[in-house]
Amino acid sequence: MLAFHLPGRRASLPKIAGSPASKPFTPNAWLEIAPSGAVKIWCGKSEMGQGVRTALPMIVAEELCCDWQRVEVVQAALDSKYGEQLTGGSLSVRTSYENLRKAGAAAREMLISAAAEKFNVDRRECRAENGRVLHANSKRELAFSELVGSAVAFPAPSDPPLKPPEDFRIVGHPRRRTDTPLKVNGAAQFGIDVRIPGMLIASVERCPVYGGTVRRFNAEKVKSLPGVRMVIEVKPVHLTHQFGEKSGPGSRNYSCAGVAVLADSTWGAMQARQELQFEWEEGAFAQESSTGLHEQFVKLATGPATVLRNDGDFDKAYDASAQRIEAIYEVPFLAHATMEPMNCTAHFHNGECELWVPTQVPGAASESVAQALGIQRDHVKVHVTFLGGGFGRRLIQDYAVEAALISREASAPVQVVWTREDDIRHDFYRPAAYHVFKAGVDAAGKPLAWLHRAVSPSIAVFYSGTGISAGAAAEVNAPDFPAFGVPNFRLEFARAESGMPLGYWRSVENSGNQFAIFSFLDEVAKAAGRDPVEFLLSVLGPSRKINLGDEGMIDVERRRRVIQLAAQKAEWGKPLPKGAGRGIAAHFGYGSYVAQVAEVSYDAEHGGLRVERVVCAIDCGLAVNPSGVQAQMESAINFGLAATLKSAITLEHGRVQQSNFDDFEVLRMKDAPPVIDVHIVPSSDSPGGCGEPGVPPIAPAVGNAIFAATGKRIRRLPIREADLGDD
Amino acid sequence: MAISFTLNGKPQTVDVSPDMPLLWVLRDTLNMTGTKFGCGMALCGACTVHINGEATRSCITQISSVAGKRVTTIEGLSADGSHPVQQAWMEEDVPQCGYCQSGQIMSAVALLSKKANPTDADIDDAMSGNICRCGTYQRIRKAIHKAAAMQSGKAKSAA
Repeated sequence: MLAFHLPGRRASLPKIAGSPASKPFTPNAWLEIAPSGAVKIWCGKSEMGQGVRTALPMIVAEELCCDWQRVEVVQAALDSKYGEQLTGGSLSVRTSYENLRKAGAAAREMLISAAAEKFNVDRRECRAENGRVLHANSKRELAFSELVGSAVAFPAPSDPPLKPPEDFRIVGHPRRRTDTPLKVNGAAQFGIDVRIPGMLIASVERCPVYGGTVRRFNAEKVKSLPGVRMVIEVKPVHLTHQFGEKSGPGSRNYSCAGVAVLADSTWGAMQARQELQFEWEEGAFAQESSTGLHEQFVKLATGPATVLRNDGDFDKAYDASAQRIEAIYEVPFLAHATMEPMNCTAHFHNGECELWVPTQVPGAASESVAQALGIQRDHVKVHVTFLGGGFGRRLIQDYAVEAALISREASAPVQVVWTREDDIRHDFYRPAAYHVFKAGVDAAGKPLAWLHRAVSPSIAVFYSGTGISAGAAAEVNAPDFPAFGVPNFRLEFARAESGMPLGYWRSVENSGNQFAIFSFLDEVAKAAGRDPVEFLLSVLGPSRKINLGDEGMIDVERRRRVIQLAAQKAEWGKPLPKGAGRGIAAHFGYGSYVAQVAEVSYDAEHGGLRVERVVCAIDCGLAVNPSGVQAQMESAINFGLAATLKSAITLEHGRVQQSNFDDFEVLRMKDAPPVIDVHIVPSSDSPGGCGEPGVPPIAPAVGNAIFAATGKRIRRLPIREADLGDD
Repeated sequence: MAISFTLNGKPQTVDVSPDMPLLWVLRDTLNMTGTKFGCGMALCGACTVHINGEATRSCITQISSVAGKRVTTIEGLSADGSHPVQQAWMEEDVPQCGYCQSGQIMSAVALLSKKANPTDADIDDAMSGNICRCGTYQRIRKAIHKAAAMQSGKAKSAA
């Protein structure tokens, strides 16, 4: 009998295992073990490049104690059994961690119970490891495949024991992405790749001014064009369900008014659409321009504002300062420009609607489509495809509503495909902003006074309406740096009026605010004659925990540590050749702490500005997949560099002036830093977010490096050649 | 209009408008969706395929101009993901959202067919027409160098 129990002879235990199971073991929504032993794990979040289809299943697999090599990851469709499926706010790992651990652990405990019964031993003598349950005392083991039939009979524990982190074999260890094989052979199915029998393709011409409507158009002529199957007017729909916000009076988030041309091919639809001629009712926003908005910013910068934080007495301390520094910073509107243009496939039939949609919020897609069609929410079925980028754009469901409305009119499955021009011109944009700073330092170079007044339109007002409080409408946050570091600190916000549709762009308000804050901090350090790293650490002050009540807690130790680590790894202080310089900036948010040092060179004659190297330190607590954390830092740095060096959206007559990658420029290979070094602080703190916190520091780090290299201070983005050259 | 060409090594005939871009013939007529639409103006490279071995933006390539030529798409690079560039992409875990990667890989394969051991400057020149919004550029550089090493290793062992 002994031979039966030798390692490697698992298959020869039929007497213990009994007859093979015919049904898979499906203990909960998250996992399934087939009689073959193959494990399926469902991913409840949307994969848009950030790696959730690897990190989240790793958490389940860790507690399940299965063989990671045998895991197949399945994308969850919209279903309440997966809980909150919203993918945004760098929340996926943070908010899923405990639940997914419990799901894996509950299944493991059931498998252990089943094995113990077969071994006829106390279950406490058994443990699971790498897809098997082991009984060490008798040197017996059973593969999960042999327990599939019997484990289901045991109750699922609601509060199963969780593994101590020192026993982790998967979590905390670098793992390659599970979706890479599909993404190197063209097999990954994005929304735009969905093919439904009988599907028509729609291309929609939308009013060039946001909020405008169709007055009349040449329907008959376009309907008669060869290849055109239908021409359908699309009415704007108020999108009350984005991703949890409540719309109130004054809320302005609508899908666009326009006309859809339907054909059998995308090309056919796009070609025929060009023959459309319109008379639009453009509305009041047609008067708006970037120049006018800038004038409004300048005016608001000196008028009344909401005070969000007021420590000490700024005015008094500023007046008494030995040295006073002032500066104004500006950032433009930005489009998300995901590589996969917006698209959705919808099939409305028998009063129900089925969606195949690259969305960050399948729940909001179902709610907004249900509302637009006037049907029950549970009559909208949502399949989540791969997302060809998200960055916050796919939090908004306008393109899903469009597809559903057109499918109903067409009585056919319809795929709406946006052109790149549609995508750039009909985005929900990162707000443009204007920041006024004043700071005072004493004779010893210590900062005593800091005023930050931010001016911009408000995303919160755009979605929620004007009924919300001035504080809630603000695009800055009361604990924003350097609060707690300067004794006389005032933070103000003045809200600009704009018709521009606004949205959440990777790291949201931090994308611009931190550029302004950390660049100005560098100005103050230089004015005080102090080293930027030393100055930053001194403003942070000693390691301590600052309790913010409802807004969490600031751990100054963790803030300091990433700054010191980035500086050390970047060899801060080591001399660089003429024309080169280093700059540092940090961001503390989304549950994580990031510091970056950029190294740039500038040669007016040869190649201009180059970002040579970026060193990034991150403390995200426990890094579930360190390889994924590293990739997200690289991603955030390159994404932030596009905004630093290239991208801007401007308005004229209410129309976005950019339309494609020739005039809305983004980062290309030749602009990408040769080296990005990522250093992850080892930690067992609970996991923090990783998608966004790497974005905010790069712009100020580069700007500060440019100052070190050239003496030119970058105060607006994107950086222009004229900002670098000789005066 | 019937147009014949070789697609991934096999003869292919399509009956479409002669000015229809190859991209849409692949995606809509032939349901081969590995080649992506990104900009429609040859600005982003997501639609890159090979025509007679040359990296070509299929979004601005009229199907009539493809008649009689050899077209290779991402689906035709290898039957099993074993092309050295695909292997290198997997080893470096290059893709994030992955939408641009078909085009990136096709551009990289074309580069390596011309320059077996490209420098970083060669890579910048050859790859700057392919946009990646997720920012995988540093990994693409590494993967191209790795694929070059794999291919030269293979060439040596074959010699």
